[in-house]
Amino acid sequence: MIRLRARSVAALTLASVFGLAAFCWPLIISPASGLAHGADAPWVFALMLPLILAVVLAEISEGGLDAKAVAMLGVLSACGAAVRPLGAGTAGIETVFFLLILGGRVFGPGFGFVLGATTLFTSALLTGGVGPWLPYQMLAAAWFGLGAGLLPRRVRGWQEPVMLAGYGALASLLYGLLMNLSFWPFGTGAGSSSLSYVAGDPILDNLVRLLGFMLATSMGWDAGRALTTGILILVTSAVILRVLRRAAHRARFTR
Amino acid sequence: MPDRLHPAAWWVWALALGTAASRTTNPWLLLLAVAVAGYVVAARRSDEPWAGSYLVFLKFGLAAVGFRLVMHALLGGVEGETVLFSLPEVPLPGWAKGIRLGGPVTAEGVVASLYDGMRLAALLACLGAANALANPKRLLRSMPAALYEVSVAVTVGLTVAPQLVASVKRVWRARELRGDTKRRARTVLVPVLTDALDRSLALAAAMDSRGYGRRGPGSKLAGGLVLAGLLGACFGLYGLLDGTGPAAAGAVVLVLGFGLATAGLVVGGRRVGRTTYRPDRWRAPEFLTVASGLVPAVVMAVFPDGLSPAFAPLALPALPVLPAAGLLVALLPGFVAPAPSRGTK
Repeated sequence: MIRLRARSVAALTLASVFGLAAFCWPLIISPASGLAHGADAPWVFALMLPLILAVVLAEISEGGLDAKAVAMLGVLSACGAAVRPLGAGTAGIETVFFLLILGGRVFGPGFGFVLGATTLFTSALLTGGVGPWLPYQMLAAAWFGLGAGLLPRRVRGWQEPVMLAGYGALASLLYGLLMNLSFWPFGTGAGSSSLSYVAGDPILDNLVRLLGFMLATSMGWDAGRALTTGILILVTSAVILRVLRRAAHRARFTR
Repeated sequence: MPDRLHPAAWWVWALALGTAASRTTNPWLLLLAVAVAGYVVAARRSDEPWAGSYLVFLKFGLAAVGFRLVMHALLGGVEGETVLFSLPEVPLPGWAKGIRLGGPVTAEGVVASLYDGMRLAALLACLGAANALANPKRLLRSMPAALYEVSVAVTVGLTVAPQLVASVKRVWRARELRGDTKRRARTVLVPVLTDALDRSLALAAAMDSRGYGRRGPGSKLAGGLVLAGLLGACFGLYGLLDGTGPAAAGAVVLVLGFGLATAGLVVGGRRVGRTTYRPDRWRAPEFLTVASGLVPAVVMAVFPDGLSPAFAPLALPALPVLPAAGLLVALLPGFVAPAPSRGTK
């Protein structure tokens, strides 16, 4: 539905490289770097990421967001934002990803990327949850919408829900890992506990600490999120895919 | 006189106050920052649904302080001499290098993580103030023109989400009229989703017929600027993280890249020619609000004495006068910002 031009693909790739660095910097930063000292680094990244997101979203929308795509994005973001509070507060039940993944599957990778960003943004505005975590969440959700759009198109029939559920569970686990990576330097400042990142340590040592941080804080949530996303997709995907494809057909959306 | 401040002014004020709070670990200054944000919220919030965000964020902040303390007690970190109590230590395998589970908990370490947690909590309180004070729908209108389509999509989302609740109720009512009183989530899903998608098609048709989506041709210049900017940002970030080259080079390339990308956004925004109905304007209260938020940030950058109190040996930290006075300046919007019209609906 949203055509990705070569230019948009290039911008998307560069922005993703930058975004990946914004997530993984505690693992790769060298002790000689000016950012390695003091507590400024997490805030610097939290300020840079919104601009990168703005640039790449503007680039994609210039490539072709027509009225149908805007309306569909708005309505699906609203659905995602409306079902998100259903799971909040209950450990590990995450209800936003399955819609995101099914939307990306039906309407393609470009739409999935923008849908991931707008869903999380709408939800944050509705619940008053705008903070330094929002750009990270938007980028990670956008990646997973994009990935859902890139899954092989030939897989249909009973294999499709299984593939999507597997992708959803994997993506949810990765989302949890990325969120932990972004929260790690905020949650335990450098040197404040034995699970904090150490700038310039071998990646493996920092990874062990990150794993410890994950086990200590959010493993239950992440596993629950992967499980609920997978089950929700298995149960609802047949019906929702049909409804979404009908809408896409009625609007004669071109891919 | 408008009855609200420009939402961007609230965000700049809150972020500047948060920046000031993030520069210190002095508990008095942090408590003062939380109190300043709380006073302004109490004085100038509307009765819109998001106005309760400040308290929610304050609770998040308390949770963050608790989280820091528990993590410190379990995992150690800053060492000290005054041992409060000892937790049984769990031996870990050799590959878990440096991770400690249990062991002595010192007063110095507890105080250090308390200060650090309080800094995070103060920052969250400032963000909560921005969420409570700024109207998100008005904020969407001030997005850069290049993001016009995306902000329209988010606006549609914000408007449709409450309608979904009404849609669910309508479906249930229709069910009940047909004698089906079981409220099963499964049977509501498809009608509500179909309803929403049909509405989106109707909306798209309405937007098309009103001339939405007419825009100038895409600009090659904007694309070039954006790509060059992103490339510069990536290289600059690499230089900054690597740190082997000259320290300033990475930062300069990074800033240059961001400058180019921003220029690309501006140039790309020119293709959208649109007017705004009743735009939010910058007047004196907006300038005063932004300035009053910047004062404590600047004061703390210029007078860093006493901002990071020592926790070994243990002592009650003193309240540095100048930064405290700077923080009090940030109370100004509580008086100069237009008071929201409350309870007049």
